[in-house]
Amino acid sequence: MSRTLNVVRMQLINRQTYIWIPLIILGASFAITLAIYGILLTAGVDTAKFGGGAQAPLWYFLAVGVQALTLSFPFSQAMSVTRREFYLGTVITAALTSAMLAVIFVVGGLIEQATNGWGMNGYFFALDWLWADGPLVAGLFFFVLAMLFFVIGFGSATVYKRFGALWLTLVYVALAVLLVGALWLVGRTDTWVEVFGWFAEIGSGGLTLLMVGATILVGATSFPVLRRAVP
Amino acid sequence: MTPVIEVTGLTKRYGDTVAVDDVSFTIDQDKIYGLLGRNGAGKTTIMSILTAQNFATSGGVRVFGEDPYENARALARLCFVRESQKYPDDALPHHAFRTARLFFPNWNQEIADRLIREFQIPTKTRIKKLSRGQLSAVGVVIGIASRAEVTFFDEPYLGLDAVARQIFYDRLLEDYTEHPRTIILSSHLIDEVSNLIERVLVIDRGRIVMDEDTDAVRDRAANIVGDTAAVDAFVAGRDVIHRESLGRVSSVTVLGTLTPADRDRLAAQGLDVAPVSLQQLFVRITQSAAEKAAASEEGALR
Repeated sequence: MSRTLNVVRMQLINRQTYIWIPLIILGASFAITLAIYGILLTAGVDTAKFGGGAQAPLWYFLAVGVQALTLSFPFSQAMSVTRREFYLGTVITAALTSAMLAVIFVVGGLIEQATNGWGMNGYFFALDWLWADGPLVAGLFFFVLAMLFFVIGFGSATVYKRFGALWLTLVYVALAVLLVGALWLVGRTDTWVEVFGWFAEIGSGGLTLLMVGATILVGATSFPVLRRAVP
Repeated sequence: MTPVIEVTGLTKRYGDTVAVDDVSFTIDQDKIYGLLGRNGAGKTTIMSILTAQNFATSGGVRVFGEDPYENARALARLCFVRESQKYPDDALPHHAFRTARLFFPNWNQEIADRLIREFQIPTKTRIKKLSRGQLSAVGVVIGIASRAEVTFFDEPYLGLDAVARQIFYDRLLEDYTEHPRTIILSSHLIDEVSNLIERVLVIDRGRIVMDEDTDAVRDRAANIVGDTAAVDAFVAGRDVIHRESLGRVSSVTVLGTLTPADRDRLAAQGLDVAPVSLQQLFVRITQSAAEKAAASEEGALR
């Protein structure tokens, strides 16, 4: 176990990757959003304003997932670390950074609600539909989404390392075909209304559960691929 | 001697290429081995498989009697320093050393600090900005200071100047004397390391062509120098691996230990005997193996 935790410390050598860049992206998109709210306010727009900028650092987690493998896997092998220890330690590192962002997200949302949208009726964190089930579910949603982006990046990098660019492309083509097939099926059975209704009904809590399932699926699939990867 | 590593029938194929071809050998505890071979001979592949970084196509590898793959207990006793090791992007040298300290149970900070000073490794520069020689020095520090029970150095000296290489050899030998352990050193600078290594493993195109004590190897061949006719008469029927002639003087490298009778005969005929350095012997043996392989291939084609 201590070797797995040492992998976390090894991963956090890349402090810039895991901590500073996500914070800078979040901070910058927050500042830009507030500036725009300010401009709108001086222009006389006093209705409630909602921005989607809080998702910005989540996209970056795709890159974090990729870098967690490409930057640290070869070094971990030189440190005589098993692939299992590397995998678990890396997932823990991702969970720690995702949790850091989720906490900021929840705290920011609570401040927004308490200050009536920074006194400008403008919301960056506390988006209505996301916070409908309370701050805990909202934070969890943010955490799980970050983890999902991470494991997609990590899994892609693992497939690339093990099988090369051709197979990675084929995996994505196969997934796209599946998606198109699903869209076709919904259209064919004329159930679009039901599908949208279902998504609305499960709400952010249900969506979080769905994403937990997807994260576990992608994360668990990348482990056997990593087990035979060569640095 | 207890073997710490046992390799039996190890084969590694990449598509049609056979990188390692049915190799078997053992590594004894507390000895320094030289793993010698040309580029692409299979040295790095063998060391990668022994440390569970790469996978065998067939055959078995035992480290401390166990399969090293996904085996933290066995792996923690190994350290593999590669020539082209990659480090995390943001890493400064001290990050790498601190991490090594976490993972190698016998890590010694004193020797690490001393080596960092002697190699003049800049501590405030990112590893990816270091020069080739400084990068090699980082690997060397990890390899020596980890004091792992089995340490592999895969051409650790790339870009190191002569002074730094001498520091490496001296410190390795000093630390080995105080803390005996098994060291496997792959190198192209054979004469430089020949005083260091106790046993030689020569690998050529994926096969082991020599597995002997260094002292025995030194006796294994000799250069006979003198009048061409006399030299030819002496070497007739012997295993000649190299021949050079200049005018009426020839120098012929023969395999096989010279007996006292041989030496008397050489002295009587006015022929000189010169020792063959490990590097010369290595070059001659791999060359003659290549010629034999080419000849048998030609034969097969006919």
